[in-house]
Amino acid sequence: MDFFATQERAQRHTARLMALFALAVGGVVACVYLAVRLLIYKTEDGPTGPFWNPSVFMPVATITIAVIALSTLYKIWSLRSGSEAIANLLGARRVAPNTTEPAERRLLNVVEEMALAAGLPVPSVVVLDKEPGINAFAAGWAPGDSIIGVTRGCLDRLDRDELQGVIGHELSHILNADARLNLHLIGWLHGLMVIAFIGYWILRSMGRSSGSSKKGGGAAIPLFGLALIVIGGIGVFFGRLIKSGISRQREFLADASSVQFTRNPLGLADALKKIGGAKEGSKIASPNAEQASHLYFSNGLKASWLSALSTHPPLEERIRRLDPSFDGKLAASDPGPGFVAAVAGAGSIPGDQERLAAGVVGLGGHTIAARVGTVQATHVDYATQFLASLPAGLRERAREPATAPALLFALLLDHDPEVRIVQVKALEGAGPFLFDETQKAASILATCPDAARLPLLDLALPALRQMSRPQWDAFRGTTHALIVADSRISLFELVLQRALVRHLGPVFGGTRAKGAPTAQLSDRTTEVGLVLSAVGHACGSDEPAAEAASFDAALRLLGGEAGAISFSGRDDCPPEVIDRALRSLGDLVPQGKKRLLEAATACAVADRKVTVAEAELLRAIADSLDCPVPPFLPGQEV
Amino acid sequence: MTFLIVLVVVAVLIVFWVVSLYNGLVGLRNRFKNAFAQIDVQLKRRYDLIPNLVETAKGYMKFERETLEAVIAARNAASSAVGRAAANPADGQAVASAMAAEGALTGALGKMFALAEAYPDLKANQNMALLQEELTSTENKVAFSRQAYNDAVMTYNTARERFPAAMFAGAFGFQPATLFEITVPVEREAVKVSFT
Repeated sequence: MDFFATQERAQRHTARLMALFALAVGGVVACVYLAVRLLIYKTEDGPTGPFWNPSVFMPVATITIAVIALSTLYKIWSLRSGSEAIANLLGARRVAPNTTEPAERRLLNVVEEMALAAGLPVPSVVVLDKEPGINAFAAGWAPGDSIIGVTRGCLDRLDRDELQGVIGHELSHILNADARLNLHLIGWLHGLMVIAFIGYWILRSMGRSSGSSKKGGGAAIPLFGLALIVIGGIGVFFGRLIKSGISRQREFLADASSVQFTRNPLGLADALKKIGGAKEGSKIASPNAEQASHLYFSNGLKASWLSALSTHPPLEERIRRLDPSFDGKLAASDPGPGFVAAVAGAGSIPGDQERLAAGVVGLGGHTIAARVGTVQATHVDYATQFLASLPAGLRERAREPATAPALLFALLLDHDPEVRIVQVKALEGAGPFLFDETQKAASILATCPDAARLPLLDLALPALRQMSRPQWDAFRGTTHALIVADSRISLFELVLQRALVRHLGPVFGGTRAKGAPTAQLSDRTTEVGLVLSAVGHACGSDEPAAEAASFDAALRLLGGEAGAISFSGRDDCPPEVIDRALRSLGDLVPQGKKRLLEAATACAVADRKVTVAEAELLRAIADSLDCPVPPFLPGQEV
Repeated sequence: MTFLIVLVVVAVLIVFWVVSLYNGLVGLRNRFKNAFAQIDVQLKRRYDLIPNLVETAKGYMKFERETLEAVIAARNAASSAVGRAAANPADGQAVASAMAAEGALTGALGKMFALAEAYPDLKANQNMALLQEELTSTENKVAFSRQAYNDAVMTYNTARERFPAAMFAGAFGFQPATLFEITVPVEREAVKVSFT
């Protein structure tokens, strides 16, 4: 599945959704007018007036639309802190990145592995402690600010393979921009719900005051309230139809992607079977569950009498698609906690090879675009191996909120002794503890290859999110001082800065990416030229001819716009210039991003090997474009 | 009619405004609760280290049984007090008693280390040195997460006491949160060395 195609499809979905929603709003307005005309207006004008009365319709339409629009906007606004807002809505508890509880530790490990393999920053993880059912959800406006939540039942009852399937399913929701669409859906449904709420409110306040005031035609207002409730109810009903229709479609997609991530269809199928067999199933007890029902891994509500209203496809069908040999028998009800079982038989058997192979999806096409946002078995293996190969102490340091800043400081330390002197001065300002920790981290890092820098940064993100605002400000100050110590910005410093702004900025009240992207590739030829030249320079050979050859390889892919793009010399594109160019490339349309990324990759792999500098630069480009890129494997044939 | 429309619109706006204030407070409350979980992780690690420490010291400090027992007792008390506070960090009383218990534990540990100075064999023990280093590092981490927690509490308390929110914060059950400050009850008590 092409990441950019799904992104564009998500945008089209959103457009279609808005059209449907507009239709629902129109219907609601018409109904409210009907209610006003029949119940209220007739008491003043008598039943003889014309049925269609524009001077009544206009204010009614204005108020109704204003109320719906305001409450929709309000809800979306209140969800602007995406992940955190959803966690609050459902009463979830954030899992500490350095937790030592075995079940939570395992969950975090699975999420880390899968996220690294997907090239996504590791999302925050929350647990719904009071939910014994098996369920999970994902939410967030952007991949950098997303959240994965699982219920207690999911944590306790699934074994590692099953958990991996579930997490893969949720990560694919984040990758496919479903998480973002879902937040919009919550807002719009809320807008329709408000009409019913106002009706309820009118009815109640009338009911309370009706004892004291006895006016003529007093029955009209309560009746009007009742009518509003009915209208709102119908609006919500149609809203849910829309929501469920879209949600069901995407569940199959997410199931398929999950199998693509884990190459183990049985893991996911077993998880689904356990849900079917468990007493609590996948129910979510939280009173706010309905609002977020389309976020979940499996039906969070009671089975609906109308299949069109159900947000998820039937379990049996989902299982059958994953496991064709499924005989309709669900797992026996709760055969003890899955976690304990998994520990007893550590390293569970991967299952039937043939069926495994069916789940493996090969690298589609030869271009990078196919890689973006897809995860292959090799990536998961690579991520697992990479995590295991890190020197002792580094992973713990990356997870610990107290030491993660020090790890990043250590990553920024320069080899040049003179620069170090300036940097050490800057570090002393960070306090003795961080100073000590930075020294320790630096001594471990010395034994670590440069290729580990990027993944370490990703691993540290969840812990960095735990900082308080003042700690974050101090951290930003120190990183800045470390970066400017040598009065020039290196490539890695550029990457680190971009990643921090991208992934942590929203958490600490930074600016969010603005609206829909509009720029075409042909509007940004200068910037594209600079960025591609920089990738060319990063190929590791000193010969200008080789660099130009890489650049030409990129141009061939760009085709039409190639004429306007020229190669710049090494001195013309220092990282500062590249940084500015990348910023202005952020508003490219998805297809433009796709072609730019393709070209940059073609440039990087023209000499059939990927250097650390190239990988880091590609990551910076992808971060600027808000695209996830899976890690380039060392020694990989490209 | 126009008057009614204006009235409805104003009422709706006010409702939205109050709801958004309320939601803002909920977000801030969750943030500091979450920050408490961070302290909890570190403190638990500290409680896990202490029995090992005492076990190692036991072999050398044979005549300080009382001190060692006091450390273990303080550790157990702090562990359960912090457990209660972690269950609901919004409960000021629980946080306060956790702080007091933590202070007592820090005091008991300080006394033990002061006494340990008199046992050169113990100081030379590598295991002991390792444990002490681990303990110091954990205490630094506690300090770091305590700072994050206190910052979050301060933001929450400020938002809660500011004008429009202050009118209804109490009614909606937003209690003021308590800062986590560890004060050692007996600062530098004279060390008594017994020659029995």
